[in-house]
Amino acid sequence: MSAEPKKIPRPLPRPGVYMPTQPFWDKAKEGKLVIQFCRDTGRPQHFPRPVSVFTGRRNLEWREVSGRGTVYSFTNTFSAWPGHEDRVPYLCALVELEEGVRMLCNLLNVKAEDVKIGMKVKLCWEKLPDGTNYPAFEPA
Amino acid sequence: MKKGHDIAVVGYAETKIMLRGGRSAYDLAAEVMDAILARTGLEKKDIDGLAIGETMSETSNPFWGVYMCEMLGLTPSWMQVNGLGGASGIGGIARAASAIRDGLCETVLVILSDAQSSSKPTEQGAYRHEFTYPTGLRGPVGAFGLLSQRYDHQYGLDHKALAKLAVTQRRHALMNPNACDKLRVPLTEEDYLKSKFVSEPLRILDSVMVCDGANGVLVMSTEKAKKLGLKKMAHPVGYGEITNFGGDDPLTDITVSGFSVAGPKALKQAGMAPKDVRMIQPYDDFLIALMIVFEDIGFCPKGKAAQFIHETDLTWKGKLPLNTSGGQISAGQAGLAGGGTNLVEAVRQLFGEAGERQVPDPRNAMVTGIGVIPYGRNWNVSNVMILEAA
Repeated sequence: MSAEPKKIPRPLPRPGVYMPTQPFWDKAKEGKLVIQFCRDTGRPQHFPRPVSVFTGRRNLEWREVSGRGTVYSFTNTFSAWPGHEDRVPYLCALVELEEGVRMLCNLLNVKAEDVKIGMKVKLCWEKLPDGTNYPAFEPA
Repeated sequence: MKKGHDIAVVGYAETKIMLRGGRSAYDLAAEVMDAILARTGLEKKDIDGLAIGETMSETSNPFWGVYMCEMLGLTPSWMQVNGLGGASGIGGIARAASAIRDGLCETVLVILSDAQSSSKPTEQGAYRHEFTYPTGLRGPVGAFGLLSQRYDHQYGLDHKALAKLAVTQRRHALMNPNACDKLRVPLTEEDYLKSKFVSEPLRILDSVMVCDGANGVLVMSTEKAKKLGLKKMAHPVGYGEITNFGGDDPLTDITVSGFSVAGPKALKQAGMAPKDVRMIQPYDDFLIALMIVFEDIGFCPKGKAAQFIHETDLTWKGKLPLNTSGGQISAGQAGLAGGGTNLVEAVRQLFGEAGERQVPDPRNAMVTGIGVIPYGRNWNVSNVMILEAA
């Protein structure tokens, strides 16, 4: 580990920096989770990319997903990423959505000892300090 | 001449690995070049190729490679900056070999140098501000926490096997004066098993400590080396590499790495099977990466690394010596130069210059590299090189 980082506030999303992601955040504001789908293969991908990772073409669209999934893996974080010190310990997870794509997210409203790989989870929203709706998951 | 035997690594050097040493990547690299020139008897003007790796400490300088030439007084006809993270060391040798065969240059200095622990953190940007940082996943530690948990689910994580890796490498570091002083203290199985979780099930003693340091090798054609009267050589007889492994599959099995592609490719090129490998000097950012190396390269079936580790003497005098200078976990990770620590140790062993930790009959060595943590997958770059003693 490198030197202890200075205390900084929890990092907030910066939409649209590396590609146009505003639709994701606009829908999040309405409590809807949208994911990029490749129109040619019908397959979803996440995080959002400027092309379909399946075809290399830009034939993409945003589609709302069910918000239902299962825990693919998780980790209980004791050593915080800068800005998350006050949350320790907290759960980070890879959730596999039933549409066939994984999201890195926090698991909320559950204790670490009660989380199991394969357990069913559903979308919930965490309100960040700037009012952003950030997608998270909780036991279904 | 068998492919690979036409190219020779003829020299190596490294600095001591230091925690917050305060010296720049340039200054550390200079020490390596100076030592290589002294040991090989070559002059600076003989070096007409430079392959260096991207760093954490100088990464804001887009002209880092050219600055390095200016700093070292080199005027190469071929220069390349490799951005493969911990895979840039052997990746640099592979590219140097191609450049030499293509006549672009004759004598290549492959240098990795970084002062990460003395520098401010860097920013990788891209999607991370939106889709990683707000979750608080703790960088590579968090990613390997996720990987370890999934591995445990699919195969069972044998903590005693991990402890054996930790203890074996630490014993090797105790014999390595270049290892970081802070890590040159004995370690027991109990110490490992009692060490605290950073990203459960990952422990602090599963992880590297970021330091500063530099290392490098000198590469030329075997023909030229013979002409110069150089006696000690290591030939890169097999190489495999893959970047963004699994990057077009959102449901990829995160316990499987690019070594499943790069390992067999390197072995096939070398005309070898895993049982023919005399020693292994793999990239070790986390202990579980070593288990995945053993499985994906084919030393044992998938999910059976723990059994393989328990059954195999991995010490310097054993059946398959492992990271005989301590690896990065017990010698310290010299930032993005860390990928060269195990490479330099392999060359040192093949030259028969490893002193009290010298592997008997050092006929060949496998070296691996790992680079860059992606979003929600196994690591990004995997490469494997097999070096054979002359």
